[in-house]
Amino acid sequence: MEVHKVNYEVNATPTLQILTEDEIEAIYFSSLRVLEETGVRCYNPEGVDILHAHGAHVEDKNLVKVPSWMVERARSTLPKKVTVVGMPDKDGKRKYRMDLVKNSAYWGTGSDTPYTIDPYTLKRRRSTYQDVKNLAIIAEALPNIDFFMSLGITQDTAVGTYDRWQYLAMLEGTNKPINITAVDVEGLRDQLEMAYIRLGGKEEWKKAPAFSLYIEPVSPLSHDPIVIGKLLFCCDNDIPFVYTPCPQAGATAPCTLAGVLVQALTESLFGIVLSQLRKPGAQVIIGGLLSQMDMQTTVMAYGSPEMALLSAAYTDITKWLMVPMYNTSGCSDAKMFDEQAAMEATLNTFIAGLIGGNMIHDVGYIESGLTSSPDMLVACDEIIGMVKRFLQGIPVTRETVPLETIDQVGPGGHYLGTDHTLRHFKTEFWKPVLMDRLDWDRWVKAGSKPMRERVHQRVLEILQAEREPLFDEKMYKELRRICELADERHKGEEMGIGIV
Amino acid sequence: MSKILEQLATAIIEGDIDNTPKLVQKALDEGLEPLSILNDGMVMGMNEVGRRFKAGEMFVPEVLMSAEAMQAGLKILRPLLVSSGAKLLGKVIMATVQGDLHDIGKNLVGMMCEGAGFEVIDLGFDVPAERIVQAVKEHKPDIVGLSALLTTTMRQMAYTIKALEEAGLRDKVKVMVGGAPVDAEFAKKIGADGYGSNAAAGAELAKKLVGAA
Repeated sequence: MEVHKVNYEVNATPTLQILTEDEIEAIYFSSLRVLEETGVRCYNPEGVDILHAHGAHVEDKNLVKVPSWMVERARSTLPKKVTVVGMPDKDGKRKYRMDLVKNSAYWGTGSDTPYTIDPYTLKRRRSTYQDVKNLAIIAEALPNIDFFMSLGITQDTAVGTYDRWQYLAMLEGTNKPINITAVDVEGLRDQLEMAYIRLGGKEEWKKAPAFSLYIEPVSPLSHDPIVIGKLLFCCDNDIPFVYTPCPQAGATAPCTLAGVLVQALTESLFGIVLSQLRKPGAQVIIGGLLSQMDMQTTVMAYGSPEMALLSAAYTDITKWLMVPMYNTSGCSDAKMFDEQAAMEATLNTFIAGLIGGNMIHDVGYIESGLTSSPDMLVACDEIIGMVKRFLQGIPVTRETVPLETIDQVGPGGHYLGTDHTLRHFKTEFWKPVLMDRLDWDRWVKAGSKPMRERVHQRVLEILQAEREPLFDEKMYKELRRICELADERHKGEEMGIGIV
Repeated sequence: MSKILEQLATAIIEGDIDNTPKLVQKALDEGLEPLSILNDGMVMGMNEVGRRFKAGEMFVPEVLMSAEAMQAGLKILRPLLVSSGAKLLGKVIMATVQGDLHDIGKNLVGMMCEGAGFEVIDLGFDVPAERIVQAVKEHKPDIVGLSALLTTTMRQMAYTIKALEEAGLRDKVKVMVGGAPVDAEFAKKIGADGYGSNAAAGAELAKKLVGAA
């Protein structure tokens, strides 16, 4: 191979960078200024007390102003890597693992949509326990999905205790790491108890947590009392948590994308400071669903190029901060899995991969995060596959620049039978599962199926495949018991107004 | 249409908060009837805003500026209209229910209602049912608008409606509900009078509920 003997630089992978270091610093120091001078509202008195006791200024009961040195100090104890490991298989091994660290990409679903697309009728309706379980089963079967979030709220269970049932539905469907939601601290405690049971004890959790918790600040610059309670519980119990806002440029955040970055970072930095005061080393993931309010429809855009751009820029910031990033992709504003959904998901998945992860959520979202779609999830698995291939880049080595083989084949020959081809054809090319590359006649013979039909067929195949339960009846009963006890404690709060 | 009414309509369309009250005052000085100033000037402007918004020629921030201009003009007109016995669109109380801090949707509906000509009393977010009942007693609104973003706080809408019933106020007000997880079916289930799927639909619904559309 003809290479320079010295000063030879390689690109082991493609690279993408939105912000320069100077721009990142400008945003970071702007956030510090907002946190110190504008302050944030924290509606949780315990949280306010902790911050106040450690140097924050508090005005008007809950307006908290955090000096920059507190942020700097919090960063010194903040973990640079967060690991979440899934549940044990029958052999006791926990094989699914996420090491959330700079430039590592893991894809997973989004959480808690009120609606889902029924896999059999293709009608949009309120999501149920069975839907969550089905979607978890699909996620378990998809090779490019690394973690699961409940693609639908269980709405056929009690509203005030839905979270325990939802966790059970997810556990029934998948052993992959889960990012849960919780109604309140009690709901979180119950789910942690369920995880201990499923893991076979608290010690297993200590080796590696099996779920993280999703919680949000409310933009602009507000922190919910229950959410902060959950944050503190996570610190006390070694539960990693995602503390990320959903600012809408022009509505709940400044209209400019740089302004969104500053505000979102301010909101998450507040969570970082509080967590590190509560427990140095508490595991935090920041990022968010950063996007705009569509000024025509007032809908929060999930498929916009700005969403992808903001997520990528924010990832640059988290790399500089050395804190795991909660990214967004595989989502769309389309009302079904259609051409728009595919176009938007392809763009945002590609960008999220290129920028380097880390925990990339919302795969399977349509209708701006209000509906989950099994078809979208399965299609995105294929998109992620393509993106992952792209991310491998082109290694330029003696083996990949086969001068001898080229010389051997010479002008006019072919490469089909060469050793070099035999060595590489299985690993060099990405192999499509759903993408069609048939010639016309074979495509017609196969039923002339458009992508949409092939995707849906795959959904049905996965759901109809025989599968062993992930755990035995005794375990199921123990887990279910926690859900039932919660229902019992909260009996009478529902007023007979269950949503489904 | 007289020139001043035309100017007033234009000021509303352009969201001219400074000029609208001045033009209203000028129209009054010229001897125009308050009701005519409202209907033939300001409402004409707002109708055009609605048309342009639907056609994608105007966008939310511009519509909200028009709504603010509308309110600036109404500040002068409202007492005159009331004393002349003219029927106004009425009052709307807006609230994001208890346990929920998400208020952008509620704010948008409130501003759209102001644009339609309603007087809007905004109770803010995380508002318990008792405070809403208290506000209904105090302000005697025509409509109560409730918003929630979370399925867990959606229940508060039902609690609030029940609290209004228990206070004997339910038949005195119309209740409209909205928010991302809310839909028409849920609204019906909890006994609300209507559901709006977006801010403009919310304002339209409010007009319908007072028999003005």
